[in-house]
Amino acid sequence: MTMLSSAPGGASVRGPVTTPPSASTTKRRTQGGVVLAVPALVWYLVFMVGPLVAIFVIAALHWPGMLQPVSFAGTGNISAVLDDPVFWDAVRNTAVQLVVAVPLMIIGAYMLGYYVAQKPPGHRVLRYLLFIPGLISTPAKAMVFYAVLSPDGLLNGALDKAGLGSMTDAWLASPSTALGSLVLLDVWSGIGFTAVLFAARLGSVPDEIGEAAQLDGAGHWRAMWRIHFPVIRDFVGVVTMLQFLWTLFGSAQNVLLLTQGGPGSSSTTLSFLVYQKAFIAADLGYSQTVGVVLFLVGLAGLLTIRRVFRQNY
Amino acid sequence: MKFGRSWLSAHIFAWLYMVLLVVPLYYLLVSAFKTNDQIFGSPFSLPTSLSTTNFTESFSSAHLGPAILNSMLVTALALVLTLVLAIPAAFAIARAEGRLGALVERVFSLGFLIPTFAALFPTFLLAAATGLFHTRAFMVLFLPATAMPLSVVILVQFMRTIPREMEEAARMDGASTFAVLRHVYTPMCMPGIATILLLNFLTFWNEYLYSLVIIGPDPDLRTVQVALPTLKSLTGTDYGILTAGTVLTLVPVWVVYTVLQKRMQQALVSGAVKM
Repeated sequence: MTMLSSAPGGASVRGPVTTPPSASTTKRRTQGGVVLAVPALVWYLVFMVGPLVAIFVIAALHWPGMLQPVSFAGTGNISAVLDDPVFWDAVRNTAVQLVVAVPLMIIGAYMLGYYVAQKPPGHRVLRYLLFIPGLISTPAKAMVFYAVLSPDGLLNGALDKAGLGSMTDAWLASPSTALGSLVLLDVWSGIGFTAVLFAARLGSVPDEIGEAAQLDGAGHWRAMWRIHFPVIRDFVGVVTMLQFLWTLFGSAQNVLLLTQGGPGSSSTTLSFLVYQKAFIAADLGYSQTVGVVLFLVGLAGLLTIRRVFRQNY
Repeated sequence: MKFGRSWLSAHIFAWLYMVLLVVPLYYLLVSAFKTNDQIFGSPFSLPTSLSTTNFTESFSSAHLGPAILNSMLVTALALVLTLVLAIPAAFAIARAEGRLGALVERVFSLGFLIPTFAALFPTFLLAAATGLFHTRAFMVLFLPATAMPLSVVILVQFMRTIPREMEEAARMDGASTFAVLRHVYTPMCMPGIATILLLNFLTFWNEYLYSLVIIGPDPDLRTVQVALPTLKSLTGTDYGILTAGTVLTLVPVWVVYTVLQKRMQQALVSGAVKM
């Protein structure tokens, strides 16, 4: 704001004097300037755009291992992938993960963020603690969960203590709970960090909006969903996109660290399948075909979320 | 008055989640000082002694010492390279008036759509082709590329707030483009630089999958995030050692967070928001 109001003033004072020289230097300056962006651009094209393009190329190749001969596969990989029941298990698991984890995370985080933004007693402590999952690396989170969920870990210990010994389970090694545990890990670590993002955005919503709603007799539930939510709607969209991408692509790491996709294929997700086929099964064409699927799912998801959260004025 | 009875469920929900956050971390911390028997027998009790055997044991069995040094080396060099690349690029974009500048900015912001995790195998091929497979050098070169879109976009926004008159005044004094960048723009967007440093510190330090595949399992080269999960298989189920190792890897991040709490939150928030 201050920038906008001071700039024209400054220009009008100095305008007549400096215009001729600055006009002649502008062109030179601009051209000399853009060169400075070249190294960063090259870096970005070589390490990010290059590999991305390569996914599509490798997906069209028959490549049964690093040192094996490579041949053109045409649509061979696509039919191999589509005929594989493991792929469909992975599709199902990824769908479950996205459908359960993302809405839980966004709704929980929005409510929690709204609560923190109202500055209740202890909100500083809340803010400090909420950020912790955002700081912890994936392996560290996985190790915490491993220690909590393993057969003689915290959860079973607590169930035993509470006299619920019959409910104990090998949470990460049982087909019925392995995927659930991974979803739980996502939600557990996702809510806190996302809540702080929401709290920060809600903090910049003018207080008058909430006060006006209260005068009109709106309860806090109404104020939260009917007043504040629409105001930050596009921000909710951005955060949803972020969490969607993290859940979709990031699950490979948790699966690798905690369940290796098992038992059977009960916790194999699409992104873990890409890793597993490339680095364990050495079926590179297959792996990158799933990579293409993953990329397209990601893109479709982003566009859908964008549409859903588009600000409708 | 504001937080009357209708807020009760909100208080409960918020603090219940707090408990869910804190209990595993408490468990992590106390287990680091216990033996397996004590962990299974009384998971919630405070440790009876503050013996550091678990820490020294995890340090030696997973070679955490060299791993922490490797992580520091990779993180620091990658951060420096990120700044060296991103600051001039942001400078160029922020003051470009032509179509070229706008185009370059667009190319960078499209980078948000590229999921780096998906390109793990092609990146591995690139490392192999350049002869940098199983080296830390490739990670030092690679990490800044992944940080480039966000870093450039954040810096451009800071640099756009610097009045043009500042540059014109410096030019009058005969400053070159490089001098303008060094003495006018860089000092004035220090908050932006701090933001991207913190943001990238977290991502680089916590990076796992790429480090695992590209640097590999060699104890002399691997980073701390790769070394940590080996405690799980190495020691079977010695949770004392596993949790002690986990605590060790969290210390640097936790220290930075506690010291720079406000800054760090701002950095992470702006990192996500600019997406």
